Amino acid sequence: MLKRLYTTLCSLSLGLWLLAGVMLALAVGSFSRASSEGGGLNEMPLFYFLKEAPLSFSWWLWICVALIALLCVNALLCSIEALRKKGRSIAPHLMHAGFLLVVIAHLISAFSGFKQQMQLTEGGSIGFPDGERVQVERINFEMGQMGMMKNYRAELRVGGAVKEVQPNQPVFHKGFGIYLKHVELTPAPVAIVEIHREPGAMAALLGALLFTAGNVMLLARRKGK
Amino acid sequence: MKWLLITSALLYLSSFRRPVFVLALSCSLIYLASRGVGLGRLPLIGPQDTLAFFSCSIGLMALPFVYSRGLSGDRFFAWGCGALAGLFALFALPFPTLNMPLPPILDTYWFELHVALAFFAYALFGLAALLGVLYLRREERQILDLQYRAALVGYSFFSLSMVSGGIWGYYAWGTYWLWTAKELWTSILWLYYSLYLHLRLKGQVWDRPFAWLGIVGFFVTLFTYLGVSMLMRSSHSF
Repeated sequence: MLKRLYTTLCSLSLGLWLLAGVMLALAVGSFSRASSEGGGLNEMPLFYFLKEAPLSFSWWLWICVALIALLCVNALLCSIEALRKKGRSIAPHLMHAGFLLVVIAHLISAFSGFKQQMQLTEGGSIGFPDGERVQVERINFEMGQMGMMKNYRAELRVGGAVKEVQPNQPVFHKGFGIYLKHVELTPAPVAIVEIHREPGAMAALLGALLFTAGNVMLLARRKGK
Repeated sequence: MKWLLITSALLYLSSFRRPVFVLALSCSLIYLASRGVGLGRLPLIGPQDTLAFFSCSIGLMALPFVYSRGLSGDRFFAWGCGALAGLFALFALPFPTLNMPLPPILDTYWFELHVALAFFAYALFGLAALLGVLYLRREERQILDLQYRAALVGYSFFSLSMVSGGIWGYYAWGTYWLWTAKELWTSILWLYYSLYLHLRLKGQVWDRPFAWLGIVGFFVTLFTYLGVSMLMRSSHSF
């Protein structure tokens, strides 16, 4: 019985069906209100959303999470089985490991991610859990030729130092990222700031690097074949 | 310089011979280079530039296949690649060019890398579909091997595009992942080609479904690129 379950769990056919199932669940989800702007899914960690949202709203996500969990078990067991046999390339297994790490990264962020948006004028400040405050000292912007804002940045006082935050250049402090989303000019300059904590980011990057290394090895192995 | 895009489209559509195909690709490359020099960045914003970039990517990615030993004498394939590239060059024509500077959030190499790699991948998925059609006509396994190779390289570019997009997202928005229609369809496309590549392990009995999967994949690609951008609201919409 257990052997049969193990054989099923590490079979290629199961992997293919699971891939198809995840695709189907995601396709349904892409038309759902949950994944649309204002659906709330991007405003909070995934597991908090799953706990709070009604099942009629989030059923496709539950299916997706369950199928991905099974797919991870399938990928892990497939790799273990293949590595037991000698003379096999490790490239596909590095790719599997990369995929598993990315899923773990999502899992970590799904439990303890954090996001909050705030509007701050010059002199306004962001409070951290330990009581420390990061103050917005100055908001700067440059206007382009077509009346569009060419660039904008804000100077933050973090501890004793002044750090500059601008689009694509967040300031990281005590595990949080401070992002400047936009600047409003009237009636007084206001910085629209988002605070993020993405605890899975490092695992995701590591997974991506592992996956890429395996992918490059696979390409090199297939070259000319 | 729009005449260069029109010329490339017309040449692509009549590329029964390989030198004509190369000439069409040259026109398309010169057009994109002139746009790039004028804008001071890669032309990757708005439907006109992205469709022209996609057309050029198809030409560029097709070149090694058009000159490969297995397909060198095949006029259908060279014309098929040309027709595909020409079609997207024609689609680009009615749209206006957007000559504005990049919004600050897009002004990063991660964005350019992310988009360019995605188009190289889309182009290779298109070529894999053409090779699928060719295999169904001729039943030569060598063609199926080429389809697999096109899809594998496309999958590699696509994975790198997702990685660079994740890094860009982390620096731009504070997260490497957002639950929006585009991200979901990007994941669907990635999973689809993961399934396609794994199906190869099932052996030769699955050769015909494998070829069909390569063809259908291009429709999933087109929906991910055009369908989602035009029909669904997302941060990636045109």
